[in-house]
Amino acid sequence: MSITFKQVEHTYSQDTPFSYHALKGVDLTIETGHMTALIGHTGSGKSTLIQHINGLLLPTAGEVDIEDIIITATDKPKSLKPLRKKAGLVFQFPEYQLFEETILKDIIFGPKNFGMDEEKTLEVAKETIKLVGLDESYLEKSPFDLSGGQKRRVAIAGILAMDPDILVLDEPTAGLDPQGAKEMMELFKQINNQGKTVILVSHDMNQVLQYCDDVVVMNKGKVERHVKVDELFKETEYLTSLSIDLPIITSFILELNKNGFNIDPSIKDINELIEVLGGELHG
Amino acid sequence: MDSMMFGKYIPVNSFVHRLDPRLKIGALILLLVTVFFDAGFVGYAILSIFVLIMSYMAKMKVSQILSAMKPMLFMMAFLMIFNLLFIQNGTIIFSLGFIHIYDKAVIQTLYIFIRLLLIIIMTSILTATTKPLDLTLGIEYLLAPFKKFGFPTHEVAMIISIALRFIPTLLEETQRIMKAQASRGVDYSEGTMSQKIMSIVSLIIPLFISAFQRAEDLANAMESRNYNPEAPRTRYKQLHWQFADSISLAATLVVSGSVIVLSFIL
Repeated sequence: MSITFKQVEHTYSQDTPFSYHALKGVDLTIETGHMTALIGHTGSGKSTLIQHINGLLLPTAGEVDIEDIIITATDKPKSLKPLRKKAGLVFQFPEYQLFEETILKDIIFGPKNFGMDEEKTLEVAKETIKLVGLDESYLEKSPFDLSGGQKRRVAIAGILAMDPDILVLDEPTAGLDPQGAKEMMELFKQINNQGKTVILVSHDMNQVLQYCDDVVVMNKGKVERHVKVDELFKETEYLTSLSIDLPIITSFILELNKNGFNIDPSIKDINELIEVLGGELHG
Repeated sequence: MDSMMFGKYIPVNSFVHRLDPRLKIGALILLLVTVFFDAGFVGYAILSIFVLIMSYMAKMKVSQILSAMKPMLFMMAFLMIFNLLFIQNGTIIFSLGFIHIYDKAVIQTLYIFIRLLLIIIMTSILTATTKPLDLTLGIEYLLAPFKKFGFPTHEVAMIISIALRFIPTLLEETQRIMKAQASRGVDYSEGTMSQKIMSIVSLIIPLFISAFQRAEDLANAMESRNYNPEAPRTRYKQLHWQFADSISLAATLVVSGSVIVLSFIL
């Protein structure tokens, strides 16, 4: 069971003067249960790629296999609903998708569309609202009375309530305050620990280092790297060529090592670094 | 969004693309008027040939013209059926029960069909070859004489250009929201009536909210830059009347003039 792309191509507005070749033969296998970061410049094809995972976009050539639901350019399943249920996609700035009178109704909108019965949805709504760090009293409020950050939480709760096996997030923390961003990332990690596959588009390498197992680098419509996170950050020259910054902690270690220290650059945790550094200084 | 070809600018470089927008707007108005002069099939033949030459020179593809007509098909069919059934002049050429079809009705319907066809093609040539901003600029120039009578030329042009500017943005937004809701299990093509209404609601409310938000942002941005519609201003983009424009104008005048003259002779 995995998410597999085989020679997937995608061209927008094919055969018109506006046509744009966004994916140029993507080969990729994402294992179930991993937390994978997807990085690359704007226009590198990240958003196009993730929209293939729940069938919002269909490949113009090649084959997409989402845990045994297979879509090719000429052959797609009759209904995409099972795929949409399996893979929950949280778009960038998802707060614009809110529309119901109450937060409760908005959260259960997705589950209801996928045929969950009324009583169960209430239970699910109560669970998920707590999961995203708000309390039950919010359920009866209007989503439009909330602050930006709270709206984001409610919108994400609306996807989590569908209980997807695969959670795809497009820059979920963009525009959040650091504390809120940290809470959200910890939530996604927790969901991943429950055995769900999480795919995260991010521009924040600190998040990638801290929370993700694997990382996929996209450039000009192709997958250029698919490695473990600490493997990627060893390739400083490659990252510089893509003008991707190293995580703060990694570049700090590299800077220390340039000045005579000898610290393992794959350290992710600040406390671990302090300990190692203490050992070096006293030892 | 492939069905949205009607009214879309198509970025190629052609003779018609380079023409002055004032000329293109003026010629379109003249030709639209001419279409309604009844000069028989000869008149329509002249106009059709002229329109064909124009679309060729604008590098329009047949597929583009056809897709521009798609949204109009229903209205065209509707109009044609009504005309066929309700015009009762001349001799009956076909009868089925209480339905009688007269020869004049057939001719009249054919006229209407050709007129609509010409109007749609001509209008899409204008929009396909003229950038929205050039279009507004042209309108503003053409409206300039009315300024003397207190007509708010600049304001109208500004309103049109803002409206045109936000069409693609709102289309993009619509697609974004549709995708977000589709991810939450909304199916825009299938489902019962109430499900369909719900799916439209889930699209329209977020769309309205974001449109109002954008309007407010834009108003604030304009106000913070002290926008004053009455202030005298210069333009970066100037329109220049070229020799090609004069020739095109002459050609249009000749074609529509001869059709109008023909309509009085016949």
